[in-house]
Amino acid sequence: MIAAASNPTLSSAALIDPQALMTIRSLELRARAVVEGFWSGLHRSPYHGFSVEFTEYRQYSTGDDPRYLDWRVFARSDRYFIKKYEDETNLRCHLLVDQSRSMDYGTRAYTKAHYAATLAATFAYFLHLQGDAIGLLTFDEEVRDYLPARHRPGHLRQLMLALEAPTRGRGTDLNAPIERISALIRKRGLVMMISDFLAPIDRLERNLVAVTAGGHEVVIFQVLDPAELEFALDKPALFEDAESQRTIYIDPAAARAAYLKKFKAHCEALAAMCRKLGVTYHQISSGQPLEFALFAFLQQRMKRGRQVRRARGAIGGVS
Amino acid sequence: MSFLTPLFLLGGLAVVGPILYHLIRRTTRERTIFSSLMFLLPSPPRISKRHRLEHILLLILRCAALALLALGFARPFFKQVPLDDPTSTQPKRTVLLIDLSASMRRDGAWPAARERAEAVLRRAGPTDHVAIFTFERQTAPLLSFEDWNRAAPTERVPLALSRLQTISPGWGGTHLGNALIMAAEALAESETKGVDGRPVRAVDGPREIVLVSDLQAGSRLDTLQAYEWPKGVTLLVEAVKAKLPTNAGLQLVADAADAPRGADAVVRVRVTNAPDSKREEFKVGWSRGAAAAEYAGAPIPAYVPPGQSRVFSVPVPKEGATAAQIALTGDDEVFDNTIFVIPPVQQRAGVLWLGADTEDDVKQPLFFLRKVFMDTPRLAVKVVARAANSPVPPTDFAAASVIFVGEPLPPATIAEVRNQVQAGKVAVVVPRNAAAGDTLARLLGADGVRLTDAQPSTYAMLSEIDFRHPLFAPFADPRFSDFTKIHVWRYRKLDPAAVPNARVVAKFDSGDPAVVEVPLGKGRVFVLTSGWQPEDSQLAVSSKFVPLMWSFLEMSGSVAPVVTQYYVGDNVPLPAEAGSTAVKAPDGTSAALATGAAEFAATRQPGIYEFTGAKPQRFAVNLDANESRTAPLDPDELQDLGVPVAKVAAAPTETRENKALLQGLEAENRQKLWRWFIVATLAVLLVESALAGWTARRATLRTEEATI
Repeated sequence: MIAAASNPTLSSAALIDPQALMTIRSLELRARAVVEGFWSGLHRSPYHGFSVEFTEYRQYSTGDDPRYLDWRVFARSDRYFIKKYEDETNLRCHLLVDQSRSMDYGTRAYTKAHYAATLAATFAYFLHLQGDAIGLLTFDEEVRDYLPARHRPGHLRQLMLALEAPTRGRGTDLNAPIERISALIRKRGLVMMISDFLAPIDRLERNLVAVTAGGHEVVIFQVLDPAELEFALDKPALFEDAESQRTIYIDPAAARAAYLKKFKAHCEALAAMCRKLGVTYHQISSGQPLEFALFAFLQQRMKRGRQVRRARGAIGGVS
Repeated sequence: MSFLTPLFLLGGLAVVGPILYHLIRRTTRERTIFSSLMFLLPSPPRISKRHRLEHILLLILRCAALALLALGFARPFFKQVPLDDPTSTQPKRTVLLIDLSASMRRDGAWPAARERAEAVLRRAGPTDHVAIFTFERQTAPLLSFEDWNRAAPTERVPLALSRLQTISPGWGGTHLGNALIMAAEALAESETKGVDGRPVRAVDGPREIVLVSDLQAGSRLDTLQAYEWPKGVTLLVEAVKAKLPTNAGLQLVADAADAPRGADAVVRVRVTNAPDSKREEFKVGWSRGAAAAEYAGAPIPAYVPPGQSRVFSVPVPKEGATAAQIALTGDDEVFDNTIFVIPPVQQRAGVLWLGADTEDDVKQPLFFLRKVFMDTPRLAVKVVARAANSPVPPTDFAAASVIFVGEPLPPATIAEVRNQVQAGKVAVVVPRNAAAGDTLARLLGADGVRLTDAQPSTYAMLSEIDFRHPLFAPFADPRFSDFTKIHVWRYRKLDPAAVPNARVVAKFDSGDPAVVEVPLGKGRVFVLTSGWQPEDSQLAVSSKFVPLMWSFLEMSGSVAPVVTQYYVGDNVPLPAEAGSTAVKAPDGTSAALATGAAEFAATRQPGIYEFTGAKPQRFAVNLDANESRTAPLDPDELQDLGVPVAKVAAAPTETRENKALLQGLEAENRQKLWRWFIVATLAVLLVESALAGWTARRATLRTEEATI
């Protein structure tokens, strides 16, 4: 989980309480409030200058265009390297947002779905400000809405409308959106998946491999309600599954230990899978301010940018 | 409070069910939607003290319903001292019918029967009407309804029991059909006489006949076939059994006409073995005395399989032996193992022929007359021929039963013959010619009697025969009534009008009388107007001749068959000869005969009886052969004859437990508390349903309010 203590740059005064934020009816306004608040808080941050551009070298092979030979490297190393210029186009980001019924659960004044939609809108707004193209794919047990990644006026508005759609479906299929997105997008980009991931993840790894192998950067946000995290329910009752509507009698006092054990195992399996695949994984409680998620994302991007630059520097060093 | 079926109280343990149900019941109404149940497992239900307290009233109602149901099934009743309520049960009219036939003498049968009868009497209520009938061959009341009603209510059963002590099985046959009819008729009567002789209306309650009998297969039921059984009268059979089943009986078989006589004479007996016998080898032989095993000579072995009968020839003992009974040994029951035999006595009869015939002349009537009267085992006829013109010894007249007159007789002889006829004998006048007319006139005492010879041109035949006359009665059957083959060449005309009281029994086809009967004193005179000798007719060579001659003999009354074998209960006609004054029974007692009595009816036991007096005569009385058929009769046979047979009541065993059980059963039947328990159960269930419904509605409302 994204911990506030780990983000010393974000002062608690600059954060917006999610409960207060959710009272704003318009999703776009909510996103704007978060992003702008985030910027204002960020100016006091020691971190600055980051980009999402990307560059790489590769050895020349016959057939390559000689115009892209890096003569400086050739001069230093007497080897031909093709310099792939930084991508001039903006980042293509696809938001995969879970709109299944399980997201329609919340012990607070808002549900996980509200929180996830706000989070997705925040990212969309933030990236849109940077001039990146944003796409959207909503899903439950199947893929519902799909907006291709674009950066043009009105697209953000469309995206917000799609995000405001009510939850549907009787299940969650985590594989369908990933399979769809890997089939749809060819250019490398960023894939952000926002879901509670309360579904079997057996096949998820295989599908994520296909996405990461395509050069996409994948970020996973697991949005969970505090009640799901702690299972702090008081009285026994017939528990009804929000999706399958199956009912079983649960005494929380008796079932809590087993639940937490299984739940943690599930989350850890998900995190381990992400680590294995180089997928960024964030677990967010719906009670946390959204800025944490945004900051964690940017921080992770910055780290990644430094890693890339270090790699590039090493190559440059060689040349 | 007591219970008739207390085991059902265990059903009350079912209250554990609702208690557990209330303890573990879940709050199924509260539902919580959760995002996913993939990490949750169903929690086991647990006891909730709070819940039990909330529905304690429901729990109590449910437990109460189950407990009340269990109590109802346990058939509760309040013990109470049984009151002697005479009106509590409907009075019953019962005829106790007790079998006293000879078969009840079997080992163990009579004590069992008496025990059953006593049990029936003790069961009788003070308002019941009971009569006791005994039966064997005859049915007799031992205790009538009048006797019963006349006694004080508390004295009735002791009276009946004391009467019961006076009876024991006799020797008669089992005429069950007659007994049942008599008992049913007694029950069907609507009125009986009460204490003071006034008629008392018979009770309206159930009417039943209780038959205490061994119900042997030899019971006679044939009379029931023609009897319409009265409605409402049921038969309860209290069948008793003998201890030992093996029984074989003896029965005398009638002699064959050609049975050997003299030294080779035999008596044939039939040995019948009961179907349920266990043995099949017996011995039969002449016995000397009371002990059956005292055989006179070697007994013959008799092998008779169960259910079958065989006839054996037992040689008659040699001359001088006094044995008069045949005994059988080898079976279990002795009551039917002896038969008493009086060998038939050959009677003697005399026929006197008064005529001039020579014995060897085949053309004379005497020749044929001698051939007619051959000796039989029962009758020896002596034909004496005397010349008509010579004096006849008085002994001849005395010995003769029938006097044939073939010739004109001297007046003295005629007078003697007339005397004999008037004393009861039969004279047959066969005039050979018209000269015999005077003799006939003198004999009949009618001077106008004249005979004239008649000779038809061809022949004459007998016609207009009065077959109702004893003389021709044997020929009454159409198979034997054809007399047309007898041709008559000659006959004598007789004017019957000239003879007072003459009756023409047969006529010739010419209209002249052929046979004329004239009563004379106690006897009678027959006139045959044609002789049987070939000179007159073909009668002697006809098949009609011998029977006709024997008819004359029988009409004399001297050859009436003497029956010497009777069954127990038979009425024995007194011997024709006067002088019998008393009868000596087998047990040595002597019973005087009433003056003018024609029959002796007190043949109550088997054995040899003897008419004492001027001419002693012995006769044997034996057991009814059907009494030996001791296999049990199927009561369904009675049912088939229209007698409604009720189920055999089990012999009541008057143990204390049984009595208590019966009292409990009676009290429970009267109180019927179980009905109230069932009603209470239903009421509790109604309340429970209403309360549960109300609770459920309230819970629903509360949930809805909480949701809003």
